[in-house]
Amino acid sequence: MSSPLTRRSFLATLAAGLAGAALPARARDGVASSPVTIGQLVHDGRWNPRPSALKRLGWELARRTSIETSPEPVPIRLEAPGLHRHPLLYLAGEGPLPPLSDAARAALRRHLQFGGLLLTDSADGAEGGPFDATLRRELARLLPAAPLAPIPQAHVLYKTFYLLDRQGGRVAVKPWLEGVSLDGRLAVIHTQNDLGGAWARSDLGDWEYPCTPGGEPQRETAIRLGVNLAMYALCTDYKDDAVHMPFIMKRRT
Amino acid sequence: MPQPAFNDWRLAALTPLPSWAIALAVLAALVALIMAWRGLRTEPRPWRRYALLALRAVSALLALFLLLEPAVLQLQTARTRLRFAVLVDGSRSMRFPVEPGGASRGEAVAGLLTGGRAELSRLAERVDLDVRRFSAQAAPADLDGLAKGLSPDGSRTDLLGALQAVAAGPGRKLAGVLLLSDGADNAALAGGLTPAARAELKALGVPVNTVAAGRESPRDLAVERVAAEEFAFVRSSITVEATLRAHGLDPGPVTVVLRREGAVVAQAVVQLEAGKDRYQVPLTFRPDTTGTFVFTVAAPVLPGEAVTANNQRSFVLRVIRDRVRVLLVAGRPSWDERFLRGLLKQDPNVDLVSFFILRTNSDQPGSQDQLSLIPFPVAEIFGPQLKTFDAVLLLNFNYAPYRVLDIERFLPNLRDYVRGGGGLAMIGGEQSFGEGRYGATPLAEILPVTPLDGAGLVEERFRPRPTADGRRHPITALGTGEAATAAAWEALPPLEVLNRTRRLPPGAGAAVLLEAPGVLVDGQPAPVVAVREVGAGRTLAVTSDGSWSWGFLAAEQGGGDGAYRRFWSAALRWLVRDPELTPLKAEPDAPAVEPGAPIGLAISLRGADYGPAPGRKVTVELVAEDGRSVARSEAVTGTDGAVRVELPAAPPGAYKVQARAEPLPGGTPETTTTALTVRGAGPEDGDATPRPELLAAIAELTGGDAATLPGGSLPRLRQLEPEVVEIGQRKELPIWNRWWFIVALGCSLGAEWILRRRWGYW
Repeated sequence: MSSPLTRRSFLATLAAGLAGAALPARARDGVASSPVTIGQLVHDGRWNPRPSALKRLGWELARRTSIETSPEPVPIRLEAPGLHRHPLLYLAGEGPLPPLSDAARAALRRHLQFGGLLLTDSADGAEGGPFDATLRRELARLLPAAPLAPIPQAHVLYKTFYLLDRQGGRVAVKPWLEGVSLDGRLAVIHTQNDLGGAWARSDLGDWEYPCTPGGEPQRETAIRLGVNLAMYALCTDYKDDAVHMPFIMKRRT
Repeated sequence: MPQPAFNDWRLAALTPLPSWAIALAVLAALVALIMAWRGLRTEPRPWRRYALLALRAVSALLALFLLLEPAVLQLQTARTRLRFAVLVDGSRSMRFPVEPGGASRGEAVAGLLTGGRAELSRLAERVDLDVRRFSAQAAPADLDGLAKGLSPDGSRTDLLGALQAVAAGPGRKLAGVLLLSDGADNAALAGGLTPAARAELKALGVPVNTVAAGRESPRDLAVERVAAEEFAFVRSSITVEATLRAHGLDPGPVTVVLRREGAVVAQAVVQLEAGKDRYQVPLTFRPDTTGTFVFTVAAPVLPGEAVTANNQRSFVLRVIRDRVRVLLVAGRPSWDERFLRGLLKQDPNVDLVSFFILRTNSDQPGSQDQLSLIPFPVAEIFGPQLKTFDAVLLLNFNYAPYRVLDIERFLPNLRDYVRGGGGLAMIGGEQSFGEGRYGATPLAEILPVTPLDGAGLVEERFRPRPTADGRRHPITALGTGEAATAAAWEALPPLEVLNRTRRLPPGAGAAVLLEAPGVLVDGQPAPVVAVREVGAGRTLAVTSDGSWSWGFLAAEQGGGDGAYRRFWSAALRWLVRDPELTPLKAEPDAPAVEPGAPIGLAISLRGADYGPAPGRKVTVELVAEDGRSVARSEAVTGTDGAVRVELPAAPPGAYKVQARAEPLPGGTPETTTTALTVRGAGPEDGDATPRPELLAAIAELTGGDAATLPGGSLPRLRQLEPEVVEIGQRKELPIWNRWWFIVALGCSLGAEWILRRRWGYW
């Protein structure tokens, strides 16, 4: 009887095996040789509405996954050299996004075309707010051939680490993410749910914003989505490989 | 003057009138008849009508006769002398006995020719005898010589070819053929009288009389045919269809084996049955290594067999990959892993299996059933499945932390996998090389560098520089030519992290291709990229996890990510020994060479820059299965880096061809290996079954007569009748100018006139 329990405990044992019963200190005490740093794009609008968000996401990534992150995100302008040091870019804003210069747009386009990923996060807290509206115009100019479209529930993004069936956020404007695909992979992922607002946490450990209407479960979902986004940036469609299918199917049901 | 002796005659017309005038006269006669008929329509008594009409017709005929002036032509004629061909089979199958324990087929034919000498001599009085001995071709022969003995040694039996050759001449027109053979055709009639073959035999236009030497098959077991593809995919099952032919053998089992260069890879037991002579034997196996190999299907040699050379048959099979199967194991998600996976996933020639460690035991992701994580199937992939991969890439992966999995116990397996022909790359990071404590593991025995355990990562910017080896090696030769390669590396973004490793001593088969100029280990620049040949396999070390910057980071500067793609694509191809990367190639003209034929090979050599390498000496050696060198030749490559080499004919068997290009000063020699077979059992020895029914069918089709040895005699030699030709004078004797013609004409005209007067028509 109780085969689910048996299966679950069996899987848990196996997964424990994946991690190892006792992990010794890694070389240099767990500091990665090349830690993952998220580049936060600086623009002429309110580019950093949730200053602690990425730092806290990085902290969660390090706590929950084997991804090693830099302690702080790196603010960078699109026109500045070194943009490609950060394959994952974060573009947030509250209020309208001022139009990008031609050089900035070309640099971002090149970044995305060569394999980069851009996460855009509106802190406006309302559907079709000023940031969302201006960002859509900008994306249309940036990648005219690739429109922004809802990311379907079956997309690997919702299973890169956590098995998710919705996105969280400080607010719940949209249940699904939107994205722009290039060469079969997501190059832009857009949310209006203010993920940064859900991630933001003070140095004392207090959440900076309440999550509405779902409360803390909604925040947890937002953090999990952040983990999945980072996993997608780093492993792309790894979880679509055939070897994962039976396990994921089993847990989804 | 003596009268010439006329021996023939015929009727002729001497009239000088042209044919249109004759036609006009015939028309006039017809009109006269019709007019007579019309005039007599009212005559109530039919006999009167017919009598008058008959008289008119006789008159018209006689008048026409006079006009034509017929004559008897007296002629002197003779019959033409024709040619009659005697075709005697001189192929090797005529050495087999005409019946079990009897004389050879050749001796039986010679005996028949001796016995039929008188008849053939009589024939020779009327026709020219065209005696030929044939196998692959028909050559003139002497009847007395053939009657004394044949000594058959031809390597083929081509009945139709021989018949067509005698029909084509030279000399007089052919009247008929006497064909003496065992019928064991292995050319156009091997498959019997096909419609095309029937048409060709009909087209000969002469009766072919046949004498079949041999009724019963000799006792023999033969691998008659092997149907195999020219190439097979490694690790995929392939079935070779062998056709086994058994004659005169007792029912029972025989074991047929398939060998690859001596080692049995498949076998099957065939149950011989009475009354059945052909058996299809499928032999299935899975080739596990790529390359060109000689395979042999062999049946046992049974006591009393007539031919033993046909008990085995070899063929060459090229074993290739369909896709390169790569295992990528990463210790954690990183940009290095992200871009390498992306590159490999995009490559249609790569079948990628990835395993990334997404969490460790110290991580707290929450409940397991909300995660998409799977257990790391270490026992499968590093155990039995390991040999299914062409290359294993360990990217910043440490074996040690996962104690429950005990990956360490699989490291000897990984080492042996490489020695047995696998490819292994270790890519740097804080869990790799010395930081992963690999210096004390079996992998240290095969890595191209020595990991320095606990030496710590180097974290400073440096620009990798190609070494002398690296400027020529396909993995690091980014440009065409050494200077271009050095410049290409100089233009790439610098690296920032390096695992400290030590170079291997010379003689270990390793080469450092890229080095870090400012980072010294034992007083020498630390290796960044190094390669090594280990047994049949290869290893690669990339001592940094920053190679992705040669692609994505380089692309920011406008250069694109070509260097990164080129580096890893070449690295993978080198690791799995992609034949395209082999600078020296040797391609036989044909995988199977006929016995006695020279062995031609096309050789091509490319230099370190992958351009043609002209003026280089190449040695080609033919090595038998037992390792003996059978033939050897040398040549110098031409301006296109290519040269043709011809080796002398070798005895039947399976051979390896080993080619070696002399190195440039300071370089290493290039070598390559391929395989070929020299056919042993040619078609003539493969099947010596006599086919009297084929010869009888030829005789029947062409209108000839057939006989069978032993026990038969010469058949009735059917042939075309000679033509009659006029050879001397002719004499015309007119027969129209006889007086009674005139009298008869006068009588018929007069009688008609009188009767008409009397019956009241005038």
